[in-house]
Amino acid sequence: MSARATTIGFSLLALFLAVVPLTAANEYSLRLFMIFLIYAIVSVGLNVLVGLAGLVSLGQAGLFAVGSYAAAILSKRYGFDLVASGAAAILVASAFGALLAYPTVRVRGVYLAVITIAFGLIIENVAIEFPGLTGGTTGISGIPKPSAFGLPLKGMRYYWVLAVVLFVATLVVHNIKRSKYGRAMLAVSQSETAARSLGLNATAVRTFAFVLSAATAGLAGALYAFLNSYISPDIFTFSDSVRFLLMVIFGGAGTTTGSLLGALILTYLPEYLQQFQYWQTFAYGLLLALVMYVLPLGVFGTIVAAVRRFRPQKRSVDVTGAPGVEDAVRDAKAGAARGGALAANGLTVKFDGLVALNDVTLAVRPAEIHALIGPNGAGKSTFVNTVTGFYRPNAGRFEFDGLALNGRPPYAIAREGLARTFQNTELFGDLSVIENVMVGYQHRLAYNAFDAAVRTPRFRAQEERCRSAAISLLAFVGLTDYAHEKARFLPFGLQRRLEIARALAASPRLVLLDEPAAGLTKREIESLDQMIRRIASLGISILLIEHHVDLIMSVADRVTVLDYGVVIASDIPDVIQNDPRVIEAYLGTAGSAAEKVREAS
Amino acid sequence: MQAVVQYIFAGLAIGGIYALVALGFHIMWSAARAVNFAHGDTLMLGAVLAIMGLDAGLPFPVAVVLSLLASCIFGVLVERFAVRPFAKTATSIGWMLTTIAVGIMLEALVTMRFGGFSRALPSPGVAHAISIFGAGVYPQELLIPAVALVLMFGFGWMQRNTLIERGMHAVSFDRTAAGLMGINVNAISAFSFALAAALGGAAGILVAPVTQASATMGLVLGLKGFAVAIIGGITSAPGVVIAGLGFGVLEKFVEGYISTSAREIIGFSVTILVLLIFPQGLFGKREVFKV
Repeated sequence: MSARATTIGFSLLALFLAVVPLTAANEYSLRLFMIFLIYAIVSVGLNVLVGLAGLVSLGQAGLFAVGSYAAAILSKRYGFDLVASGAAAILVASAFGALLAYPTVRVRGVYLAVITIAFGLIIENVAIEFPGLTGGTTGISGIPKPSAFGLPLKGMRYYWVLAVVLFVATLVVHNIKRSKYGRAMLAVSQSETAARSLGLNATAVRTFAFVLSAATAGLAGALYAFLNSYISPDIFTFSDSVRFLLMVIFGGAGTTTGSLLGALILTYLPEYLQQFQYWQTFAYGLLLALVMYVLPLGVFGTIVAAVRRFRPQKRSVDVTGAPGVEDAVRDAKAGAARGGALAANGLTVKFDGLVALNDVTLAVRPAEIHALIGPNGAGKSTFVNTVTGFYRPNAGRFEFDGLALNGRPPYAIAREGLARTFQNTELFGDLSVIENVMVGYQHRLAYNAFDAAVRTPRFRAQEERCRSAAISLLAFVGLTDYAHEKARFLPFGLQRRLEIARALAASPRLVLLDEPAAGLTKREIESLDQMIRRIASLGISILLIEHHVDLIMSVADRVTVLDYGVVIASDIPDVIQNDPRVIEAYLGTAGSAAEKVREAS
Repeated sequence: MQAVVQYIFAGLAIGGIYALVALGFHIMWSAARAVNFAHGDTLMLGAVLAIMGLDAGLPFPVAVVLSLLASCIFGVLVERFAVRPFAKTATSIGWMLTTIAVGIMLEALVTMRFGGFSRALPSPGVAHAISIFGAGVYPQELLIPAVALVLMFGFGWMQRNTLIERGMHAVSFDRTAAGLMGINVNAISAFSFALAAALGGAAGILVAPVTQASATMGLVLGLKGFAVAIIGGITSAPGVVIAGLGFGVLEKFVEGYISTSAREIIGFSVTILVLLIFPQGLFGKREVFKV
């Protein structure tokens, strides 16, 4: 969404929040609208988890309950005011959110859904089981009227509190979404492998999403406790968790406007359905099913898609003002000549008895183009996956510019300056081409969550540098015409180029290109040849894994040959070409070939 | 001693229900890599239709068979209209929410036709309690885990001796490739949902005499059945049945010695803990990670 659309959107939201209470016919309709404001806070936060990080929570009512109970207990027993108990609710709920994020290290999808369901039900029953603290099934009544710093906040005043909190929460969440944090969440949900290879700590990204959605749910819960002045376990059931999730999906997952719209619709829908009397619940279910069926992108998501179809966005990006590619791949302070040296010593990798790499020793010298070749199954990709941290070697060590990298996770290795591409391209399909490159730049952005939330000058300056570096890298690989296209719509050859641009954005000192020529046409391979030379001329070392002999002989400074996990030769291309062991590995021995011919005849 | 025996038998009975529900989840997952999230409502449908059949004057066996048949049809309809349209999407949110929506509709319909109250299904299995080691046990409570085990072995036999199971396996592995090999992907998927729904309906008919049948009985039983399926490892039929029986016994002991809300707290905490230690469940197959 453009900056102008964002400004217009938030102005409309402010206007809406200011005008509605004036039109409220009575106490009841104002109260219902205040319930909407609270639900909207939950929905906007949950959208971060569901829409951005791609994780399903069916236990959001549990986090809402945690916030509610924390606020109710603290205000009733210890006299905390609205601000103090709200802050406490955020803290407690965030802690639970971080706890819930931990399982995502190992489980996803329906497994995670079960964990969140279980969490919600545990909270509901803990509230019943410990009546001394929570009042048991009867709940807590007589929660004090809200006040802040001695100022009572009853009636319309409390309305303004809710409206302002919703507005600020929405703004903060939306700003986070438009920052490196939002891009990181989308990237991790679309290709975790690629995200980790670019220096993103996937677990930290998911934990942040969980904590953000938990903090908003906890805050909303506290506000609810003060609005209702009474809470009990039956307000925080599984059905409520389902409704919170539906708000996000119904409105349009991933869009801020959609999560507000979803909360609005699902708050008022039951009221309108009351006219169907007995059929009310049935109509509710039917409507949900229909929306999922007819509008899988949600209400707002569908509107956006329709608008895009009739008013296609500009695909290209303007390169004027973008820095030279040298500046784009190199931080100003880092200085020149940065080719990294990779040294692998005696690497052995076994998969259940199959020895994929057997005592492999390989050295990539600074700023050289080193080719790694070998027949299918020789262990080339295993080597790349090992030195980038995806596989753990059974024996041996590898270091980069003297720094031992054994046992480090992929994101830590990537941050040391090792970038890679993938044999089967691993793009962030639903991100635009330029956003893919910006994710590559991610770990060079130093601003923090606060900078992102309020868009400080520091944030703006760094984002601007990131964007212009991405533009110049797109120009470098010839993709500026497709900058705003979704990556998955690119033709295959261009997807490969995009992966290279994305890897370069990470400011690497060594790039590992895993079969970049596979599936390319002859002409595309020629331009790849040029591109590899230009990358090397930037002072970046290259490890090129390839089958394509012409390409290797043309660009490589040195060649290492793997066969059955063993290095059988390592030398300059001319020597390799005439090495009898290499010829044997690729073609078989002259003798055996002759024997086969004899047998056949 | 008497209480311990009592808890074990009562636990095996409710555990047998979880096992049947979980077995249904396993079957749906095996073929479609998706499940009916409102599978608990299939159980409710089975129980309620059997009672309504008896109300209409049908003999007991006829009411049971008709109710199972209706459950199967319900399963097929869920697969066709709530799951299949979302089978090709990457995330599971689509079919999760549509099947939940179907569950809401079904519960609303049943509340209208059946009433909002609970009723027991009269069954010879609860006419007289028998005494085992001094504990009073209904024959019905012995029947439930027995049925669960028989169906588990029956399903195992089907897996070894019929082509349908191989088809289910192929479809779950790769829908497109299975289709190219001449397997009717949609038929396999529909069949698995029908079979799972039959097990769900049977679980409902079995449990209704012991507990009671109502429009809302399915929600908790369904959620626990799903938790059990995940604990046991949703890819393993014996795994989910063993986990179901074990979960039931654990629940009865906690309920007996502490309270019903402690039962839920401990049961679901165990679910989370098991998943943290065994991400694929206790008996599930580990998926291979490849870059």
